[in-house]
Amino acid sequence: MSPRTVVVLGASGVGCRFALAANAAGHRVTLVDEHPQALKDMSIDAPYFYGAGLPAALNNANAIAQSFLEANPELMECLESGIDVRLSTILWGAFRNGENSIHIGTPKAGLVSREGNELLDHDVLVIASGVRDFVPSFLGWELPGVFGAKAGLALLDYYGVFEGERVLILGTSDIALRLMRSLRSKQITVAGVVEPGSSIAAGPEAAAWIEGEGIPVHFGKVIASAKGKVAVEGARLVTLDGTGSEEIACDSIAVAVATLPNVELPAAMGCGMRFSTELASWVPEVSIQGETSVDDVFYLAPKADEAMIEAMLARISGAARAEWQPSSLTLADASSYIQQWIKSLHQTGGPDVIMCQCESVTRGEFCHLEPPKYLGQGMRTSQTPTNQTDNPHAPRLDQDLVKRMTRVGMGHCQGKRCRDEAAFTLVQRFGIDAEDIRPGSYRFPLRPVDLSLIADDDETDDIRLNWQMWPYETRNA
Amino acid sequence: MQNYDLIVVGAGILGLATAYQARKAGAKVVVLDKGATAYEASSRATGYLSLRGETPEESPLAQMAEKLWDGLDEELGYPTEWTQRGRIWAAVNERELAELKELYQSFEKTDIAFEFVDGQALRKMIPSLTDSCLGGIHTPRSGHANPQRTSQAFAWAFTDLGGEIREYTPVLEVLATGGRVKGVKTPYGEIHAPRVALCAAAHNTLLLAPFGILFPLAPVRLEALVTTPMPPLFDQCFIGNGLSVRQTKRGNLHMNGGPYEWIDLEIDKESPKPTTPIVRNILRRAIETIPLLKGAQFLRSWAGIVDMAPDQMTTIHLFDNPEGLLTVAASGHGFGMAPAVGVAMADLALKGATSLPIEHLSLNRFRHITSDWREKRRWHAGQYNT
Repeated sequence: MSPRTVVVLGASGVGCRFALAANAAGHRVTLVDEHPQALKDMSIDAPYFYGAGLPAALNNANAIAQSFLEANPELMECLESGIDVRLSTILWGAFRNGENSIHIGTPKAGLVSREGNELLDHDVLVIASGVRDFVPSFLGWELPGVFGAKAGLALLDYYGVFEGERVLILGTSDIALRLMRSLRSKQITVAGVVEPGSSIAAGPEAAAWIEGEGIPVHFGKVIASAKGKVAVEGARLVTLDGTGSEEIACDSIAVAVATLPNVELPAAMGCGMRFSTELASWVPEVSIQGETSVDDVFYLAPKADEAMIEAMLARISGAARAEWQPSSLTLADASSYIQQWIKSLHQTGGPDVIMCQCESVTRGEFCHLEPPKYLGQGMRTSQTPTNQTDNPHAPRLDQDLVKRMTRVGMGHCQGKRCRDEAAFTLVQRFGIDAEDIRPGSYRFPLRPVDLSLIADDDETDDIRLNWQMWPYETRNA
Repeated sequence: MQNYDLIVVGAGILGLATAYQARKAGAKVVVLDKGATAYEASSRATGYLSLRGETPEESPLAQMAEKLWDGLDEELGYPTEWTQRGRIWAAVNERELAELKELYQSFEKTDIAFEFVDGQALRKMIPSLTDSCLGGIHTPRSGHANPQRTSQAFAWAFTDLGGEIREYTPVLEVLATGGRVKGVKTPYGEIHAPRVALCAAAHNTLLLAPFGILFPLAPVRLEALVTTPMPPLFDQCFIGNGLSVRQTKRGNLHMNGGPYEWIDLEIDKESPKPTTPIVRNILRRAIETIPLLKGAQFLRSWAGIVDMAPDQMTTIHLFDNPEGLLTVAASGHGFGMAPAVGVAMADLALKGATSLPIEHLSLNRFRHITSDWREKRRWHAGQYNT
């Protein structure tokens, strides 16, 4: 086997385990992860939804880096084994030759950190980009003290800077349980759990644990609003029919409805995608060796097991491509749980709640495709975004159209906060299946990047002198 | 089989403007597209109306377009973000200044208002412009708008009048019999109409080839990007240092420029439109041009496919044979031209003639072009930056 240059994106457990295995097999491995993030990047709420209440202790970058490493023994092992580990580094784009772009040369991964940017040549790209928070809108969700479960876990377990003392949990799925266990292990009070359904989504064992901890459960309710002037001081809950409500005192509201896979890289690279009801997300189509539809680009799902790591490594090391057979993972149905939350929140909260924080667009404005308020102009006739077509395989609705008209997903966070609620809102409003939506396009860069960091500072003469000035240089050709 | 007065092939801005005007004149019109509305060149456009000082043959039609742009929001009923604050074509070094002075001579062949101004005057118009700016051409009556909103405004105005758009419905073939157009063939059946308007950029070339007609268009992939919103910097169309840059109403800087990648198209398939690391070089030039952009963030990049004719000008042509067939493509000038193109195309389709100034824009100017023109020009698929 000839060693290959492998870039692994994502130093989660599975990413680290793969990197270690590939390194042990003799490949040259670079492991890239955006964590620990700069405070400015955390405020974009990607991948984790920290909200507006980031603890000041995060400013101490050295202490944060130290505790991040201490909390990740597998990452420490990667560092010790000689893997080229790039932390606090954003992979903003990945480029390889393909249809309509054949001048890239060796595949390139665009990396950017505080020090600047580089294009890293490599053979194989393994995407182990993990999951992010799903946070639906509700009144007051922009207040400091509202955060997603993954963000809460990062503050508690990676950085040790969690400041909340009384936390209300929205949702009862596995991620909610993980968060509650971490909170309780640090003697932080869980003020209650909110569940629109009538049972604990994570199952009876979880229900027994919650009961044993004495945590109050509010079945058949959702949050009506986060209360507080400058930060969360409480939450108002409401029954699904809107008749009953109660206030809960808390200083934090953790949205723990679901996590969704980070798929912006494979999607932006043009990997074939499919909608997974189980994961409530479009995900790359992969073979049982983890290979996507793009040669030498692999996707390691968050729940991938050791057998998958082995099969993927064998393929990278030269094993024949397995007959195409999509890998299958059976998980809980995240789509219906997410849809239940969105439906309940919209039904009780109405159309005037801000759905897109970056561009201040409400649910109602989004559904009616209204132009942004700063244009000061309306529409002659109200419109719907569904397609007319004779093509039975065509999407019935393009999320990009809705995005371009309403700007939901066009703001600073590029839809990291709102795009999933937006998609499921379209599903519910127009009565179509999620797989019949053409999801909003993902674009590079995967995170907003300072111009001063990404501008090319060692441009070649070839690019400099042969830059095309449309139109007249080519006219003279 | 369904019957219409006019089939428009291509739901980009030129097709939609044509369809809107034809529907407004009372015709029964359907627009067909292999993909979604405004997903190719119309999604990559910078959004400029240029008065075409650099291509005087196009200038009369561009000036017609300028008059129509002025009332377009009201006409269509949807905002386009039209901003008429002029265009600045600036030189940031001696080489560009020499080129601009040459270009200036072609502006003089037109009757549009323009002036050549020095660097100091340009910095007065755009205070954030680099000190190294030496001067440039100012065209006061140019303007810009939001390409996606404008295409959609035409689409909605058309459907509001009862027009029909069918997306993801590729046209595989134009049908003709006895020297007359009779409709089109799609994978889902035939659609019939006595007139067919091909407004599908370089797909026009593929659809016309079976008739022995050469419409010389070369598809090319180009890239665009936006930054995060900035405070108001300027509201003109800006060209200079190898970039086109406009600031949107929201405050984002929307720019494009840089290498061309020549490609081929397939008739029934949406083309991949990958972006490349060239965005780093675009951003470097942006900072060189407007130094305070160092404080902005790179937010989003995308690519689009533009069709180029050998002289990089608009073509509008009504064929005698087969009768009822007409076509348009605009070499990347379609966005600004669209309002006038729509009127001219609808006239040609429904009346067989137009009073709009298109006499220099017919296909006849390419009658000596041979089918290997792309190779000769080094514009064939796979060529980069030629």
